[in-house]
Amino acid sequence: MEPEKFQETFARLEAEVRKVIVGHDDVLRKALIAFFAGGHVLLEGVPGLGKTLLVKTLSHALGITFKRIQFTPDLMPSDIVGTQVLAESNGRRDFQFKKGPIFAHVVLADEINRATPKTQSAVLEAMEEKQVTVFGESYTLESPFMVLATQNPIELEGTYPLPEAQLDRFFFKLVVTPPSPAELREILQRTTGAETDDAAKVLGQDGGTLINEMKQLLRQVLIAPPVEDYVVRLVHATQPSSANGGASVAPVKQYLRFGSSPRGAQSVILGAKGNALAEGRVHVSYPDVEKVIYPALRHRIILNFQAEAENVNADQILAEVIKQVPRN
Amino acid sequence: MQIVSDQRVFQAPEKLISGLVVRLRNHVLWDSLLIFFPPLLVSIYFLTYLYNGAWITQVTFLLLGLTAVGLLLIAAMMRYRPLIPSVRLVAGLVDQRTGAKDRFMTLATLEPSSCSPPLFSRLRLEASGFLDRIEIKREFPYKFKRSFYRSAVGSAVALVLLHGLLPVVQSRFHPVPASEQVRELAEKMTQRPRLAYLAPDLRALAAKLEDPKVSPQEKQIRIEETQKEVEERQKKEQQKDDRDLLGQASSMLKGLDQQSGSGQDHQKDQDQGSGGIQSNLPQEGQGEGKQSQGNGGDNQGELNAQLSKEMKQGNSVQGDSKEQGGAMNQQSKGDGKSRESNPSKSDGDKNRETVGNTQGRSQETGGKDKASEEIPKGAPPTERFYRPGEQGKEGIKDGRYVTVQLPEEITADSKGQMGSGKESKLSRNPPKIPVSNVPLPDHVPDAPTEKQQMPLEYRGLIR
Repeated sequence: MEPEKFQETFARLEAEVRKVIVGHDDVLRKALIAFFAGGHVLLEGVPGLGKTLLVKTLSHALGITFKRIQFTPDLMPSDIVGTQVLAESNGRRDFQFKKGPIFAHVVLADEINRATPKTQSAVLEAMEEKQVTVFGESYTLESPFMVLATQNPIELEGTYPLPEAQLDRFFFKLVVTPPSPAELREILQRTTGAETDDAAKVLGQDGGTLINEMKQLLRQVLIAPPVEDYVVRLVHATQPSSANGGASVAPVKQYLRFGSSPRGAQSVILGAKGNALAEGRVHVSYPDVEKVIYPALRHRIILNFQAEAENVNADQILAEVIKQVPRN
Repeated sequence: MQIVSDQRVFQAPEKLISGLVVRLRNHVLWDSLLIFFPPLLVSIYFLTYLYNGAWITQVTFLLLGLTAVGLLLIAAMMRYRPLIPSVRLVAGLVDQRTGAKDRFMTLATLEPSSCSPPLFSRLRLEASGFLDRIEIKREFPYKFKRSFYRSAVGSAVALVLLHGLLPVVQSRFHPVPASEQVRELAEKMTQRPRLAYLAPDLRALAAKLEDPKVSPQEKQIRIEETQKEVEERQKKEQQKDDRDLLGQASSMLKGLDQQSGSGQDHQKDQDQGSGGIQSNLPQEGQGEGKQSQGNGGDNQGELNAQLSKEMKQGNSVQGDSKEQGGAMNQQSKGDGKSRESNPSKSDGDKNRETVGNTQGRSQETGGKDKASEEIPKGAPPTERFYRPGEQGKEGIKDGRYVTVQLPEEITADSKGQMGSGKESKLSRNPPKIPVSNVPLPDHVPDAPTEKQQMPLEYRGLIR
């Protein structure tokens, strides 16, 4: 696939989703990058900001199947991955596997932090292995497969915060912020009028092939060794332990309990490649890295009690890391 | 599609980067060399100075010069190697200047075989589009760095300091020959119309001093004649500048005279092996001589050293009233001859004047005469010359008579074999008592019965 084709498709997808979603351009771009990078996205924001609509519109524009799971405390794993049911055919009763909502190209795990850890962990295998196992039998998920989970940063009572292991499986964590006044006016005009726009399908019948080609192209994007070194230094700088030369950044040592995993570095590289392609380039530059480092690492660094007490968030620490780690 | 010029097509982005790497590497090399170049120049200048001043031989000069150049090269290389610009750095510079968003850096650092060829070709094509935004010679000209200017300024300061210090060091370790000083003095005289007639005599004196065939006695006589001539002229001279110059000449000649005497005396002492001490008064003469040296005083030590070598074969003329009394001391010149050989003589006022002059002038000379420095300032000088047992106004306690033993030839002169001229002056009024500071024999005729301990202040006066 030509890079121009990728950029054109990417731009059309963004344009179609923008017909429905006002604002959130950065969230939309990052979500698309994560999709073409083969990752999953955790969307965090207060209710009513259009998280669910964004995911639905995106999957519609992509022309791929979409399922939504509303996570509740009594949700069971079988409700997600599916279960064996007794079915009668030709006079015989057999157990047949009834696929759960996880079997879709795009799965919206709404308010994922409301389900119990047992249920949350049911999504783990699906997210990582792109397959589920029920009664000892594995079922491969369709490709492309993407989980878009949302969680509410408020109303934490009765919720089950995602464990670090599960958080690490999300490619990006995108923060959905409230719209600006201009965006809010635009939202009102679009949603309270007589006519509402719907996003058109960008990818047609051969959408799956095209998506796979785009995913392959993204991984071929050129990245210079100095840029890779820069990513390594950035991710390593998030380690609060002084072993292996970490803790060179003072806020990291002061406010972090754990640094980023290698998955974080992978996410940064792939996200930077996706960003470069989206901007029409075939190579990764330093700004690409710095643009994706926040969504790629903010959920992978674990704050300590002092940071929470002093209301220091992960983005502030990452900003300090970028500031203190030299490019060359 | 943008049509690129033939030059641009030929000049691939990678070539641009490699060319710039070479250029910047040369810049760093020049910087490193230039930093050490001014110190090298100063070093070579210093070595040349030493070589011209005959401080070092030609071989040493060459060796030191080569060592300096070698050290420069080593230092330059040590500074150059860590500063060699990497390809990554240079490519980053090009990206920065052209706004290529790390295209050149990616091209320069990426291994083509490990990446997608179509994408790499596309990247090269994109980078080529930025080539017209940069011109190496214009964007990266060579400029002298601040470090070079610092080095140049530091070297200039070092050069000035060397210029200031080298003459001092040279005068201390490598004195100017006496003949050269006399010749310089003659040149000065030549420039003064009223004193120009003295210049030929001084030149002749310089020639004699340089001539190894001339005996020390002849040199001595010549010096004294010239000195007399200068002093006579000085008395008559009314202009201050000329008088000062004459005073300077007189001081220098006096120094020559004294040193010729001391050199000969030293030799004589060695020849005799007796260690006899004639008198403590020559130090008075030296003190006065220094007093009257004026501007030429600083060269006294050099002259002394020089002449001591030149005249070490000469005979002793120490004790001459001329060199002891000093021409400038008009007060003591006339009658000092009879006193100097016998300091213990109770000559009343005359003796008092002489010693008083000595002490006062020694103090004025600011420490040139160490013996005078040791004399306490409390009691009048004459009291130190009381006979043992006599009491001055306040009395001398624990004083001891100082005995001095004259050499045999002077003793002989005192018995009526006095020669003519200066030698006869030496033996005037010889002491009746053989005296010495060496341990006295068990029995000395006419020796004082009372024994006193010698006061400390006299120790410096006795050689």
